[in-house]
Amino acid sequence: MIGQPLPRLEDHRLVTGNGRYSDDINVDGQVYAAFLRSPHAHAIICSINTRLASAAPGVLAVLIGQDYLDAGFQGLDHVPNPADAVDWTRPAFTDSLTGGVFNQLHLPLPVDKVRHVGEPVAMVIATSVMAARNACELIDVDYEPLESVVEADDAIKKDKPLLWEGAAHNLAFQVQIGDRSAVQEIFKDAAHVLRREFRNSRIVGCQMEPRAAIGIYDAAHDSYTMISGSQGAHRQKMCLVSALRTTPEKVRVICPDVGGGFGPRSMVNVEQLAVVWGARHVGCPVKWTGDRSEAFVSDYQGRDQIVRAAFAFDAQGRILAIDNEWIGNVGAHTVSYVPMSNGSRIMTTVYDVPVASVHISGVLTNTVPTGPYRGAGRPEAHHVMERMLDIAAREMGMDRVEIRRRNLVQRKQLPYRTPMGLTYDSGTFEANMDRALLLADWEGFEARRAESQAAGRLRGIGLANYIEGPVGAPREWVRVSVLPEGVIDVAAGTQSQGQGHATTFAQVVSAQLGVPATSVRLRTGDTAFVKFGGGSHSDRSMRLGGTLLVEASAMILEKARDIASRILGDEASELAFVEGQYSSAKSGRSVSLFDVAAYVAQHGLPQDPQIRALDAEAEFAGRMPAHPTGAAVCELEVDPDTGDVELLHYSSIDDVGQPINPLILEGQVHGGLAQGIGQAFSEGYYVDRLSGQVLSGSYMDYGVPRAGAVPPLSLEFTEDPTTGNPLRVKGGGESGITPATAAIFNALADALSEFGHDEIPMPATPAVVWGYIHHIDEASNEF
Amino acid sequence: MVVVELQVNGERVSRQVDDNTLLVDFLRQGCGLTGTHVGCDTSQCGACTVSLNGVAVKSCSVLVAQVDGSIVKTVEGLAQGEQLHPVQAAFVRCHGLQCGFCTPGMIMAVEYFLRHRPVSLDDEAINTALEGNICRCTGYVNIIKAVRSAAYEMYPDLAWDVSEGGQ
Repeated sequence: MIGQPLPRLEDHRLVTGNGRYSDDINVDGQVYAAFLRSPHAHAIICSINTRLASAAPGVLAVLIGQDYLDAGFQGLDHVPNPADAVDWTRPAFTDSLTGGVFNQLHLPLPVDKVRHVGEPVAMVIATSVMAARNACELIDVDYEPLESVVEADDAIKKDKPLLWEGAAHNLAFQVQIGDRSAVQEIFKDAAHVLRREFRNSRIVGCQMEPRAAIGIYDAAHDSYTMISGSQGAHRQKMCLVSALRTTPEKVRVICPDVGGGFGPRSMVNVEQLAVVWGARHVGCPVKWTGDRSEAFVSDYQGRDQIVRAAFAFDAQGRILAIDNEWIGNVGAHTVSYVPMSNGSRIMTTVYDVPVASVHISGVLTNTVPTGPYRGAGRPEAHHVMERMLDIAAREMGMDRVEIRRRNLVQRKQLPYRTPMGLTYDSGTFEANMDRALLLADWEGFEARRAESQAAGRLRGIGLANYIEGPVGAPREWVRVSVLPEGVIDVAAGTQSQGQGHATTFAQVVSAQLGVPATSVRLRTGDTAFVKFGGGSHSDRSMRLGGTLLVEASAMILEKARDIASRILGDEASELAFVEGQYSSAKSGRSVSLFDVAAYVAQHGLPQDPQIRALDAEAEFAGRMPAHPTGAAVCELEVDPDTGDVELLHYSSIDDVGQPINPLILEGQVHGGLAQGIGQAFSEGYYVDRLSGQVLSGSYMDYGVPRAGAVPPLSLEFTEDPTTGNPLRVKGGGESGITPATAAIFNALADALSEFGHDEIPMPATPAVVWGYIHHIDEASNEF
Repeated sequence: MVVVELQVNGERVSRQVDDNTLLVDFLRQGCGLTGTHVGCDTSQCGACTVSLNGVAVKSCSVLVAQVDGSIVKTVEGLAQGEQLHPVQAAFVRCHGLQCGFCTPGMIMAVEYFLRHRPVSLDDEAINTALEGNICRCTGYVNIIKAVRSAAYEMYPDLAWDVSEGGQ
């Protein structure tokens, strides 16, 4: 079963309209919430007059931030500083040069001032959605607008408006990793030094399902239930527990089908907390369904990282040292520092860099809070590395492939410890690069370029090598139960937002227990029966969950063999186990795993007759590293008259470890690549620098990729086995996206090299490309 | 308020609705047919696509009072019992969906595209057919495969054309 391209088991439900997403669920007696959102990027809330709104038809309550505090609750603690990638018992960022890592509890509705356009300032609860929305318009907020700042490198300058009292210079934290003085010594004598700034653009998640949540309060038990799509019910639960100042047994979080995750849905959003609080306030369930316009100004966003890179090379093009400055835009609230943690850790990627230093600043700005978005810092880090190598090759008169070859970590160096402390155990980096070049017919490119040139078009090709360092939440849990009726029930702490766990987990269990995959039923996303677990992100589900499925299955087989031997009257060691059946050569009889479960249901376990279930739980806490790796080549053509870019071909080779389901795996690569293409060419989240107003507030002005965005592909998979987990899983969810913008921008710079060597702004829309060709400085241009 | 009567997935449905009720809200809330989704508020995403009198429309852009007496088919009405419509089956076979949220709208748009023998199944024709539907998960690669696969299933001679070097 493992390795089979099995069509997904969950699909029948989804293609017949029987998916069950948050807004599809209704609870008896529910009422509806709507939020009034800030029109200002930064403003003092002088007063909020709710009198008219409260008296409007159907309105049950109009709530503001002070009401929340008066109820005795506190803001959300997002735990923005993640567990360290190597030592999970400590946070990623310590010893902040600012004196401490800032973590401001996130109120559902602010009491002092608004800090980004779209921040909710009041919640109306009414008997209908319309009544709630209409009443929002009757709320009178007296704002005193303040100067705002939206760019991270702007916000840390002198005399800029401050968002939070506790964060001087708008710095959430500032850390120095690596020996900077040693690095600077090397820079002094280096044959070649290259410095360049990269601005990785801000991304909106654009999960197709708008966020929605239902809050339920049970006054008799003083307990809360939240029904809402997310990437991990337990993280959401623990965050709610602390905000509501209650205990874990008083909060249940249910996560139904989720219409896309990609990272931002890991953290709790304020609207989720607000409906739970609202349910308690009005005494009946409260439902909120966001619309797309709200999503564009309130869904946690991704990227928006600036890297000022400095590389020192020897005369042969070998990297001697890296001295990077990383400035991450945290947004208006301290939601997540994951992109800066992941990105700086993987900074040296697949290259043998002797020493590296990075100075990281997490910066608060008057923008929507950011968090992990597919790859979460790794695509940004790869973009920098791969662009720097191309630029260095050009400046030093070297071949782009050769400079990489001279710097790649050689297989004989494995296990290889990077200067940032990660240890790569496997990966054939040079062979992967060579394979990608072959798939792309790199050698034949110049002939193709000449053909394009003859047709008046500019052709370019770009290469990027990559490696990931998946980390994520360190704890995971599964329970596997054999049910007499012929079902294997699996409960797990991970959740699918489209990754197809119902299928891949079934394939793993099927392989372990010798039962058909269709007999496996996966249940996730409800803290009532999921003991704990970290949800899905960072390629962790199969790596951690799969490992635990193997362990739990082994425990079940151990118990079952013993019982089978009693049923069959033969020595346990004498029994054969084939396709879910224990058989005895002596008696000629056999018994299935499900028969064994039926026996247990009737007689109990031999060791404890009180236990009537054949099941096993497995859990994990720690780090289970694996490093997916590969290479990608992009070929494209620019129309110099319009600035339009046509992707012609994209090749990649990915070592994701052992593929569990190649069909699903390819789908993951396609999806990640499309998101990379979107960031490269069309997904511009434009915010006015002076006013902080959002200029990209819908699918009409934010360019999410449409059909045809992905060019013809040559995708291959390879495997240099990891010994880090029993299924040899490395992870496939981020392989498509990690090298994507790097390969694309290398190709674009190649195509446009005759027009200059400055960095092309991201996204490279036709207007940007045309401006680059015609040397028009976009910043000076009044549109 | 206005009383409307429509035929939805073969059943007559009569309801009293607010004048400003959208067809999509009528289907989701009035009829309990939650397979039709709302993914945006600017008629861009196509998650709400249904068949209205035989034509694929975005049901977020139609007032139900406007289409009183019409025949509506949603994704729930596409399969014949357990037998999936060829477009649904192709989406499963080709892994044309991940999170599944855009899928009902995609399927309804593709069902309309393939209701009659398509003139062309080249990339441009398919991309145009999918122009009004957004997917964030798949990169459309397997959706496009599913469109072709369904077309070959529904019009076997098209598949023949391909093997003969057509397309």
